Amino acid sequence: MSKNNKKTASAVPANIKVYDFCSKKKIILAIAVCVILAFIVGAVVRGVNLAIEFEGGTMLTYSYDGSLNTNEVQKEIEDIVNVPVTIRTGESLDNSGSQITVSFTSEEGLNADRQHELTVKLQENHPENDIVLFDSNDVSPASGREFLAKCLLAMVVAAVLIIIYIAIRFSKIGGWSAGICSIFALCHDLVAALAASVLFGFEFNANIVAVILTILGYSINNTIVIYDRIRENRTLYPKATLNELINMGCTQSLRRSVRTSITTIGTMVIVSIVVFASGYNSLLSFSVPLIFGLISGTYSSLFVAPVTWSWWKGKEAKKSEKKD
Amino acid sequence: MKKIHKSTFFIVVAFIALFAVSSITGFDYIYGDNTTTVVKGVDDIRLGIDIQGGVDVTFAPEEGYDATDEQLDAATQVIKTRLGALGINDNELYSDYKSDRIIVRFPWQAGESEYDAESAVKELGEMAQLTFRKGSDYDTDDDGNITPTGEIVLIGSDIAEANYTQQPDSNGNYEWVVTLKLNSDGAKKFAEATSELAGTSTPISIWMDNYMISAPSVNNAITDGSAVITGNFTSESSKKLADQINSGALPFKMETKSFKTISSTMGEGSLDAILLAAYIAFAFIAVYMIALYKLPGFVAVIALVGQIAGTLAAVTGWFGFMPGSTLTIPGIAGIILSVGMGVDANIITGERIKEEIKSGKSLDSAIRVAYKRAFSAILDGNITNVIIAIILMGAFGVPSSFFSKILNKTIFFMFGATTEGVVYSFGFTLLVGVICNFIFGVFAARLMVTALSKFKAFQNRKLYGGDAK
Repeated sequence: MSKNNKKTASAVPANIKVYDFCSKKKIILAIAVCVILAFIVGAVVRGVNLAIEFEGGTMLTYSYDGSLNTNEVQKEIEDIVNVPVTIRTGESLDNSGSQITVSFTSEEGLNADRQHELTVKLQENHPENDIVLFDSNDVSPASGREFLAKCLLAMVVAAVLIIIYIAIRFSKIGGWSAGICSIFALCHDLVAALAASVLFGFEFNANIVAVILTILGYSINNTIVIYDRIRENRTLYPKATLNELINMGCTQSLRRSVRTSITTIGTMVIVSIVVFASGYNSLLSFSVPLIFGLISGTYSSLFVAPVTWSWWKGKEAKKSEKKD
Repeated sequence: MKKIHKSTFFIVVAFIALFAVSSITGFDYIYGDNTTTVVKGVDDIRLGIDIQGGVDVTFAPEEGYDATDEQLDAATQVIKTRLGALGINDNELYSDYKSDRIIVRFPWQAGESEYDAESAVKELGEMAQLTFRKGSDYDTDDDGNITPTGEIVLIGSDIAEANYTQQPDSNGNYEWVVTLKLNSDGAKKFAEATSELAGTSTPISIWMDNYMISAPSVNNAITDGSAVITGNFTSESSKKLADQINSGALPFKMETKSFKTISSTMGEGSLDAILLAAYIAFAFIAVYMIALYKLPGFVAVIALVGQIAGTLAAVTGWFGFMPGSTLTIPGIAGIILSVGMGVDANIITGERIKEEIKSGKSLDSAIRVAYKRAFSAILDGNITNVIIAIILMGAFGVPSSFFSKILNKTIFFMFGATTEGVVYSFGFTLLVGVICNFIFGVFAARLMVTALSKFKAFQNRKLYGGDAK
């Protein structure tokens, strides 16, 4: 795979080792498509679990002692809220008691008054169980949808500003297309993280927002480091073709990309293991999708972004040839 | 750049060490029974309710009611007064005029694991009971609860409007006052009471629920239904009293739009787990960097200590000129990302130093050229993160914060203030982390490496990843 094009008239000095990334575009893009397919299949098969932060709804967790008839509790709660209720039981983290989680979605949400009424009712009906509210989350569907819309808009605005910034800073090497390709690579990483999240059965909650934001920053940074090399090489070797510049930039950045990725991915692996071992699984829905996003980020910024860009520029060149 | 001497290394290291120690341990002294915190340390970090546990509520007027700005101010004042009355002093309270929302967050107070949040929140949203009473007497029951006992003169619905304004006093100086306009019923009752009390030492006390907010004395009988309350008001305190009085006339009840309680037991443990993971991860990064890049790697680890200390310092409010921030789980993610960026900056330069040395440059010029060339990549990568951080701080910041004032009037004009403060924390730590990355990961690291390279002992090219010459 390694070769420096001595036979063709190359502008790249023979002593620089260069891997030919651009000619592997079919394999590279095929893998990218596979990632996207994995997400779609996962989403269809396992279903996307929107947390109530986005969807609106109510989730109440009570801790209790002794035994509790869940069917009875379900009926008591349904009598108050007038919508179907899901009940789940589990072990309590802090003591030997048990927990019961009640969740349901109603158009108006459950306000504090009714929630208080519900808690009091449960405590009255089961005095021997020592029922105490452990955790609660209630979001009206309208606020949930608004939060989701705001998150999406924030990401779109950030993406547009990043494209503009890259376009300006990299105008020497054709900035707009470079910016758009970096956002394409970014989407690839986001999809990879979301696919991991879906396949592992995590809920889409505030943690996934943090994951998406982290990948946003990390992936763009990764791509920019490579663009920066291409920009520098353009000045150093003005006669080289774009594909040569891209291949050279990727090769030079390869080691740095891999090493940086080992630190960040290693950190997240450590976090995942510690969190898993100590039983605070709620953080896993942050760390695990992030690991997949970071792996994808290394791959996409080294391969997907430059190769798509080379392909784009190639098409552009062909078009202008036809016109002439 | 001026010539860098050997001693620069020790100056930079001493500076980072001092900074790190002071921002982690903090500095306070105990005088008598009072502890005065001079410098805030890690113990003073305000943990978000997703870590510490607590309550996060968004109130809005009942369905379909469009409150005016004055009414929302009044409603906010009600909640503020009640939080004080409930002893919840460690709270965050924001109001957003555009969406008529009031956001309240408060962590569990120390030792309150069995706190009844539901009844507290229910109470916060109730309509305020405003009363004007003769005298300021009250009963105290066994639990220390106060009940006013004075005869009721006016109730909230007797008051048409309260305002705050400036008017000249007897010496011709302008002072802040609160003006009251009563409706006809209220004017009649008020006239009777003030005629009776004028000139006596018995004041008319103003109560919100069971909490006395003011007790002005009566100078003259007031018969025309408009009164002026004077006192040593500032513009703020007169506005507060006017808002409190207006709250008694609020025609709506506040309902919860979202209501979240997080138990403290779940949170404390997860922070311990995160800290443990952070220590292990830091050790891993330190070993990895030193193994890969030797001397520049060692410097990178020192720079990283500075960067993390800088971020923690910003979170605790170590820097006097900017207030601290609440640290949430996404906030920790922001720190991890910025540390990743910091390590990356050092890997990029480390690789560059190696490359330049291998290309046959002298140690001096290799280091100089490497830092210069690596900088453009580091700059662009970090600036894009600054863009992201600012957008997030604007979109998810509290209504009064700087970036959200700008962005909420432009890009996010169609949205109300958000309830998810956790995302803001991510933007905050990321922004601060990136700035610290420039200071420590780039500038300080460069000073240290350059200074070290002046020592004879550190001029072996192998130490920088090159081959021995």
